[in-house]
Amino acid sequence: MRFFFKKGKILVLIVGIIIVLSLNFFQKEVKGFFYVFSAPIQITFGAAGDKVSGFFEAIGNLSELKTANDELQKVIQEMLAEKASFAELKKENETLREALQVGLQKDFQLAFVTVVGKDIGQESILINRGAGDGLLVGMPVVTQQKILVGRIGEVLENFSRVVLISNKESAFDAKVSGTETTGVARGQGNSKIEFDLVPQDKVLKVDDLVVSSSLGGIYPEGLLAGLVKKVSRNDVSPFYQSEIAPLFDIQDSNAVFVILNFNND
Amino acid sequence: MIKQVLILLAVFYLLALLQTSFFVDFRIWGVVPNFILISALLINVFEKPQKNTGMLAGFIGGFFLDIFSSNPIGFYALILLASSFLIKIILSNLLKIIEQQYPVTMQRTKSMTI
Repeated sequence: MRFFFKKGKILVLIVGIIIVLSLNFFQKEVKGFFYVFSAPIQITFGAAGDKVSGFFEAIGNLSELKTANDELQKVIQEMLAEKASFAELKKENETLREALQVGLQKDFQLAFVTVVGKDIGQESILINRGAGDGLLVGMPVVTQQKILVGRIGEVLENFSRVVLISNKESAFDAKVSGTETTGVARGQGNSKIEFDLVPQDKVLKVDDLVVSSSLGGIYPEGLLAGLVKKVSRNDVSPFYQSEIAPLFDIQDSNAVFVILNFNND
Repeated sequence: MIKQVLILLAVFYLLALLQTSFFVDFRIWGVVPNFILISALLINVFEKPQKNTGMLAGFIGGFFLDIFSSNPIGFYALILLASSFLIKIILSNLLKIIEQQYPVTMQRTKSMTI
């Protein structure tokens, strides 16, 4: 360990550590500086990664694709039949709205953002809008299918970091869609979410759709969080032990929406 | 030395960009390997214990990991620096033990290596 006996090099090392640690005083500016010229490269690399992994996935799943295709054909036929009945319901709904004089108000204002970087280890994504575009910490982030992604955890001038719902720091009120079964969805890391505090006297089944609840005021009502993956009962606890598989996939997300304001009333 | 630092800066910056964009789509059993960490550790393992490129690589790699993550700057930099230091201590002690136990074999190995 000759290196450590040279005073000059020890000094250089200590100075280097002090400089790096002192960068924390300007953390937002330093990170923002790197993100500004890294973002275009990251977007290009991300798109290339999507294509390459998609190609290899398709080769690996050829037999599964055939089965999935057959199943989807059946689903399409069922949906076509359903569509016909929905058209009638839509007409009826429109008539009722007119009758009740309820205007089609938008529930929330959205801002379209591009995903610049993904940090799978820490369950967060970096988006290309920041404080300069009016984004604030805590704003919910969704996909175009109304799937809940997470909320903004850190805001820089031109970029923001979104904490995913599967992140260990994330916890929000949720409920099973169309029922009164409510609980708390807690991120567990590794794309896992625990659905906690659901009383055992309520009904909870595998494949139940879990949506956000307006109870905690963190997210608007009705955003799709995931499907119940595991449900188990314990005699000691009054609550179910259950797990949700999030609908949002960090790999497939290249563009998301930030909800700038929402009304939970 | 400056040339070495510049090369490490360029390589680890590129690796950090790939780690947060390209490699995200290539999961192995649901996990994305941290290529910066792997590279820094490999440099430390395969270079001579007296050299300090590995420690420099650990520090620079850690710095870029901090930049592209939500951690405070210096978090990974110090962890990787400490890990590199630890690897060097273990390897140099290991070499000493081997040298004491098998002096003839070690001399032959040294004469064979450049």
